[in-house]
Amino acid sequence: MNPKPWWAKLGHRSLILLATVYCVFPIYFMLVQSLKTAQEDVFGNPLIVVHPTLENFAELFEREGEVRGFVGSALRRSYPFLDWLENTLVVFAGTVALTLAVSLAAAYALGRLRPPGSRWWRRIIFATYVIPQTILFVPLYQVVNGLGLDDNLLALLLIYPTTALPFCVWMLSSYFQQLPREVEEAALIEGASRATAFFRIILPMSRPVLVAAGIFSLGTVASDFMIASVFLLSAHNQTIPAGLGTMEVALDELAAVAGINLMAIPVVLICAVFARGYVRGLTAAMVEGS
Amino acid sequence: MAPVSARWTRRRRDVATAYLLLAPAVLLLVSVLAYPLGWEVWTSFTSLSPLQAGATAFVGLENYRQQFEDPQFWRAATVTVVYAAVTSVAKLALGLGFALLLVRPFRGRALVFLAIFLPWAYPASVSVIGWYWTLSPPISTAYAVSMGNLKYSVDSIFGGGAWAFLSVTLFNIWRGSSFIGVLLLAGINAIPAELFEYALLESKSPWRRFRLVTVPLLKPFLALGAFLSLTSAFADLANVWMLTAGRIVFPVIGTHAYWLAINAGQYGPASALSLMLVPLLLGALLVLFRLFDTPERETA
Repeated sequence: MNPKPWWAKLGHRSLILLATVYCVFPIYFMLVQSLKTAQEDVFGNPLIVVHPTLENFAELFEREGEVRGFVGSALRRSYPFLDWLENTLVVFAGTVALTLAVSLAAAYALGRLRPPGSRWWRRIIFATYVIPQTILFVPLYQVVNGLGLDDNLLALLLIYPTTALPFCVWMLSSYFQQLPREVEEAALIEGASRATAFFRIILPMSRPVLVAAGIFSLGTVASDFMIASVFLLSAHNQTIPAGLGTMEVALDELAAVAGINLMAIPVVLICAVFARGYVRGLTAAMVEGS
Repeated sequence: MAPVSARWTRRRRDVATAYLLLAPAVLLLVSVLAYPLGWEVWTSFTSLSPLQAGATAFVGLENYRQQFEDPQFWRAATVTVVYAAVTSVAKLALGLGFALLLVRPFRGRALVFLAIFLPWAYPASVSVIGWYWTLSPPISTAYAVSMGNLKYSVDSIFGGGAWAFLSVTLFNIWRGSSFIGVLLLAGINAIPAELFEYALLESKSPWRRFRLVTVPLLKPFLALGAFLSLTSAFADLANVWMLTAGRIVFPVIGTHAYWLAINAGQYGPASALSLMLVPLLLGALLVLFRLFDTPERETA
């Protein structure tokens, strides 16, 4: 191939730069704000932080009665941030695990065992995405109340898996479907059961797709604000998004932004670690379509 | 005879196992969605309201008819359609751009990929709060004045509330283009590389290759991205609510229904409203199935 002219290279470089800045700038901005002292927040340059401090983060973990910051102690409220952190951890980990287990089972059934009508089952499960969520929480509240899960984390563990499940089943089942049957056949002929063949052969093979499904469900749960705020009422039962939504934002702006970062950083790190696997898994699941 | 019947019992056992394995997923979806969906459909035909003293009456299609006569509905519907169309097109275009940028190797590609993956990976539940803070900062912050000026100039050109709506749109595009970019990158990787190499031999014009080869091959993935983008845009209640702090000047169907249900106590019309989006989404879904689900290959 002939070498590219200089302007094409320059164009490519600047497009890459532009895309990177566009994607990262809002995140950078939120990070910078959270590292500022109250003084710098008011008088400093909004785009940079000169004297970075972790006091906004520390403030989240402080209890009542401590004075910090510009506005003064009288106006400060304290928040059970540690509880929120713990709840978030439980809900997110539980949801991802549940979503993976349930969609793995369903996808194996649909893609591998192929019961009659499997194609339609797959479509119907995916079609649940068209159900409008708008005021669904009104009747959903009745369901949650009926189960006695009002103001309980278990309510979220019941509702959240349904949001990522359809896509995960779709993705995993198309992956299983395009695996050649020889993959299991040898083991089955040797007398292994379906279960053994699944755990020994299929499961290890499908690691990238599982990673993709896991990251997708983590991203989906982490994006919900509405369901968490509707179903978790008392402060000690809330997750971070629901809790941050109740903060007196005009007074606690810096603490709120610190809370945002505190929640975002672990999620982003997990996603970053598995980012390559995510693409590989999506690719593996999509090969079938073309 | 024996091996045939052995295979037959094996098949029957497989089918039974399949239904057993399918059960948790179906049970979960049914328990969470079936009753609420049924409730919503039923309520859309009744006058159910927590504020109403008398018994709930069956009113047939009255709630739907009433919406069509309400100028507020048409306003909300227009805003919703424009919002969904603008965000979806922008997300697909940007996402395709990202994917094409990342598909060929260059120095630092892994880092740029991570940067493009970030807006989606960054939890939207909190980034939406952060965006709200950034775009409508508290009066004390250093950039409050410049951001305020921006807000007033946008609002004075397009009318009050335009800035808030613009921020919702920008947020939706920012996060969605990241997701679609990664999805399309995976899609391109899934297409056999030889197809692109043939195309390179056939035509020298990159634009022709893009139009005649890349786009048609990516069609199923574009459709998947478009469908997921439409469902999120139509259902985009939380983001609009958050980013405008509930001061809805440009209502979408979602916020209009929410307002009717929660503030005005009119569950019937609110249900009818939210269900009106279903035919549109079902249409999009059928297109998606046609594009994505065609090759029914014989496997295991």
